[in-house]
Amino acid sequence: MESASRQKWSLTQEAFDAFLDALDPDRGDAGNRYLEVRANLVRLFEWRGCPLPDDYADEVINRCAKKISEGDAIRDIPTYCVGIARMLLKEMARAPDNKVTSLHHAPEPRALPADPVMESDEREACLRRCLNDFSPENRDLILRYYQGEKGEKINNRKGLERLFGVPAGTLRMRALRLREKLQSCTERCLQKKGVLTL
Amino acid sequence: MWQTGKSEERLLVDYLLGKLPDEKLAEVEDRAFADRAFLAALQAAEADLIDAYVRKELTGPELRKFERLFLASPQRRKKVEFAGTLARLADEAVQPAQSSSWGALFDWARGWGHPLQFAAALGMLACVIGLSWLWSENRSLHSRMANLQSRSSDLERQAHDLTGRLAEEQARANSLTAQSKLPSPPPLMASLVLLPGATRAQSNAIQLLLPAGAQVAHIEIQLEAADDYPRFRVELRTARGDEVMARGNLLRQRNAGGFAVSLDVPASALPAGQYELALKGVSNDSAKDLGFYSFTVRRQ
Repeated sequence: MESASRQKWSLTQEAFDAFLDALDPDRGDAGNRYLEVRANLVRLFEWRGCPLPDDYADEVINRCAKKISEGDAIRDIPTYCVGIARMLLKEMARAPDNKVTSLHHAPEPRALPADPVMESDEREACLRRCLNDFSPENRDLILRYYQGEKGEKINNRKGLERLFGVPAGTLRMRALRLREKLQSCTERCLQKKGVLTL
Repeated sequence: MWQTGKSEERLLVDYLLGKLPDEKLAEVEDRAFADRAFLAALQAAEADLIDAYVRKELTGPELRKFERLFLASPQRRKKVEFAGTLARLADEAVQPAQSSSWGALFDWARGWGHPLQFAAALGMLACVIGLSWLWSENRSLHSRMANLQSRSSDLERQAHDLTGRLAEEQARANSLTAQSKLPSPPPLMASLVLLPGATRAQSNAIQLLLPAGAQVAHIEIQLEAADDYPRFRVELRTARGDEVMARGNLLRQRNAGGFAVSLDVPASALPAGQYELALKGVSNDSAKDLGFYSFTVRRQ
């Protein structure tokens, strides 16, 4: 992930404390901001197609913490971190054993690994269980919102907008939040069954 | 709320498929981190893109770009797997048999396009609800009336049954009264009294007449005053010595002539013929012969 010279440095407790202090003098708020910065970095690496977004996000924070521990004053840490992330993406693209594949020069397209039947069944069972925890209204909303293909889906969503009397954007956000909640619930259920590992 | 028109939606999809130049990529990312609504719109576009993939709506270069970018990380693979399962359940859930009442309302609402049509639809909905209520009330009243009619019929049927049974009982009572006035039927029980001290010759003259239909022969043996035993035993044999029956633990009973021991013998055990009866007094473990009687059974 990193060139040999940079891999020598590792995050120390002092450096991490300094990073948190730079985010916010209040340690509780600093912790929340740290989580937010890291989540955005993970998203960014995900969007860019990195195979290990969490590892890359941690590397960005390490580099930022190192700068701060070396005495550099950073005014806007989140923006600075995003800058480091983009630099890292370029480094990875240039590296001979690049893990971040150039989007235009990737050798082979990937395919979703075959989902073992048992895992697929377990996932479906978990999803059903989580859906049952939803109110009937929310359950119908999410199932209707994501049901059907193209034209049918568009009609479904228009029907839902009329039914709830809300604009498309509001309905979309509501469906998205339900979807996120449902996916989190399903993954927790799968973890409990030992099917999914973090 | 960040509203996505077609061009904005296209921008988000292009970003997610890595089709934008570097400066545009950075622009979208910076905005997503600064504007929560924009971030949510990007996430919603991502969800729809994943759904399009699992429903095999992506083709050509878009499909290849999607697979290169979305199947790279475990997090996104989980999203794709989840979307596949959700799409399957969503399609399954809208089958008519499984559609909920809420879903039925949705199906109904989906068919209306214009606001005026929608307003008319709401009016119709109110009418439908009102008519449904009236229909439900009407059905309820009909159901209650049917129940009352059914109960009334049951009561009538019960009264009719009771009247019939009463008539039958009255007829039976009349019949019994009429029967009581008829000549008595032959007695079901025949009686024989054996007196003490009778000689064998005298005994041979004693006869037990068993009329047709007699079921029991009641034999009474008169005791002498000295025959004071706690228990008595009677043995009945044919003249040839075959035992017909034996009865122990008999107690003496007071009657008009003093004391007597009695026993009932089934008439079926007494074919016509000569019989001998032995009476014994039982005290402690010893038994004393008190008398022998002989009689003849005759059947009528």
